[in-house]
Amino acid sequence: MTIPVITAYNWSPDRGRGLVRDMRVRWALEEIGQPYDVRYLSWGQQKESAHRARNPFGQVPAYEEGDLVLFESGAIIFHIAESGPGLFPEDPAARARAIEWMFAALNSVEPVIWDLIIAKIIEGDHDWTAARLPLVEARLGSRLGDLSARLGDSEWLEDSFSAGDLLMVSVLRPIEGSDAIAKFPNLEAYVARGVARPAFKRAFDKWKAGQTGETPAAFAQPKHEPEGEAA
Amino acid sequence: MPVDPNATAEITAFRWVPDFAAGLVRDLRIRWALEEIGRSYRVRLLDATNPRPLEYFQEQPFGQVPAYRDEQVQLFESGAILLHLAIEDERLLPFDRNQRMRSVAWMIAALNSVEPIILQLLAIDIFNRGQEWTKERRPQVVEFLETRLGKLSEALGDKEWFEGHFSIGDLMVVAVLRQLRHTDIVGKFPNLAALVARAEARPAFQRALADQLAVFKQHEPEAA
Repeated sequence: MTIPVITAYNWSPDRGRGLVRDMRVRWALEEIGQPYDVRYLSWGQQKESAHRARNPFGQVPAYEEGDLVLFESGAIIFHIAESGPGLFPEDPAARARAIEWMFAALNSVEPVIWDLIIAKIIEGDHDWTAARLPLVEARLGSRLGDLSARLGDSEWLEDSFSAGDLLMVSVLRPIEGSDAIAKFPNLEAYVARGVARPAFKRAFDKWKAGQTGETPAAFAQPKHEPEGEAA
Repeated sequence: MPVDPNATAEITAFRWVPDFAAGLVRDLRIRWALEEIGRSYRVRLLDATNPRPLEYFQEQPFGQVPAYRDEQVQLFESGAILLHLAIEDERLLPFDRNQRMRSVAWMIAALNSVEPIILQLLAIDIFNRGQEWTKERRPQVVEFLETRLGKLSEALGDKEWFEGHFSIGDLMVVAVLRQLRHTDIVGKFPNLAALVARAEARPAFQRALADQLAVFKQHEPEAA
């Protein structure tokens, strides 16, 4: 494979937790042992046309590999998982189930987690959030309850670690340590197993080493902006 | 006609749903793809108005529709099912590597970058209609959604489909945008409105929609 180039921020509003979505792509590349380069953007550059040509939504990550330019971390991870061993099982039916968990993470679990983050952090100071929050928490609790019931006491969602687990752990990370997930000890342990993987640790260390940018003036106050999380 | 009680492929769907959901339930996405490739399927109906039976959660851990099975796989999540149907079929996914991967990116963009915002609006306009907070929250959700759709519209430009020819990327973008039919939001982006109209005019879509609606009609509760 031509050495891929991913696009990442040199500063993120996540207080050092590595929650921006280039982390998922770094983790996937580390799992298959694929070296990569990083094109760093200062906060704000993601909205400029040079980057919008790579990612139509003006977010990170973007992924360039020869003449392939890709966006959406889920699609990039799908491509990486197809490129090398370690993230997709060889058996076609097992592979389809790994893909199914990728989509479950992206479309059934992550949106209800965002809802909580938006309600608590971004809309936290609106009066009406208090009336809405119980609905958001109930929906998240129900979804996590279903996921917890399915995981049971298994190590991973299927027989072995896959791109499905990589994405599921990634979408759960923003609520790590919160009351929302504390009710489900098996999910907490699942996330802990994911982030204990050597490939995750390597990805995180490289991400951290790239955080060299200045805090933008708009973030001098500790407040998040929607696209910081949803990038 | 692809609906065939003896087919090896099976999807789950609801027996009946209220009008606001008719024509939008997610089994439509799978019916549509199956129609595009002329693959026959059978339908197993579930009751939407009561909790799903416990054993259904073995097939679909969140109790939703559709679940899918054929001679090779048993799957849930409409995105994963579409990818399974498309992966070796050029009518749903181009063979050219770059176009293929970018079509997958558009499908995932629909599911992860567009649909979550639309669901926020549906929570306001439909599921919690009339609650005080919905009035205050709606303008900012609409603004966020329109910003995102503006970028989607810019990326489509004057192309007929997102990547060369019709693919599961277009199918999913259109399926997601159709959930805004109760608003005039898509109409603010003429190329997106035209994309939806083009896709809805496809005979495969028309058949899939007619088949979903026919089931609801057949099981319509008697007026109270």
